[in-house]
Amino acid sequence: MPANFMATPTNPTGLKNPWVHLGLSIACVTIYELLLKRGAADTAHLSERWGWTGIPGLASVHVWIAIIFVILSLITWLYVLRYIPLSIAFPISQAVHVLVPLGSWLVLGENIIGLRWAGIALVSLGLLVVAKPVARFEEEL
Amino acid sequence: MTAVALVIVLVALFAAVAGQVLLKKAMESSHSAAGFRSRAVIVPFAIGIALMTLQFFLNLGLLQRYDLSFIYPFQGLSVIIITFAAAITLREKLTFQVIAGSVLISVGVALVSFT
Repeated sequence: MPANFMATPTNPTGLKNPWVHLGLSIACVTIYELLLKRGAADTAHLSERWGWTGIPGLASVHVWIAIIFVILSLITWLYVLRYIPLSIAFPISQAVHVLVPLGSWLVLGENIIGLRWAGIALVSLGLLVVAKPVARFEEEL
Repeated sequence: MTAVALVIVLVALFAAVAGQVLLKKAMESSHSAAGFRSRAVIVPFAIGIALMTLQFFLNLGLLQRYDLSFIYPFQGLSVIIITFAAAITLREKLTFQVIAGSVLISVGVALVSFT
């Protein structure tokens, strides 16, 4: 593994650790998606005429909390980009494609078909493959 | 899918990739002494946000005409393209693990989107 694998200035530690913020960003996007779905479902009956614009969704408190989470995810993502290479951070951020279907299954009670489980398994495997050398590098520091 | 829709999908994909690369460039430049007030931060940041906004509305328009399961696999492609774009434009080092992981994630994202 080349010494400049992470080719960024010295990473802050503790709560300022960019890996913590990458986790926060992923969590914020997952919560945002689940809240948006719940808000959209709550307000689907309000206006057939304007429903396609998504504007009636603003009547739901879930949608407003979702908007706060999407802003938080952008802020944490920008912080992540200050320290972690894009070629590492972006693939790992795709963990949302595992967490959102799992969340919609556990929280919203949606069904997950076999092909989707296979996709979740493949994304998880890909995350392990990308994250493993990063974890080893962090341990060596 | 019509030729126009394919062009919109490709423009949205390009906007997503270029937007992420420019945001990364802006955040990297923020380490300089001038910080966030530097022109090297503000210009790529503004263009990056504009491109991400363009991508958002293009995707919204596509979703009004096509199923999510049809459009989403193209977004899966963005993982591989962004990984290579970061290597080419930002000179980030790519390892075999990162490339293999990105391919697995892209195929996985495409499968997750099928209904």
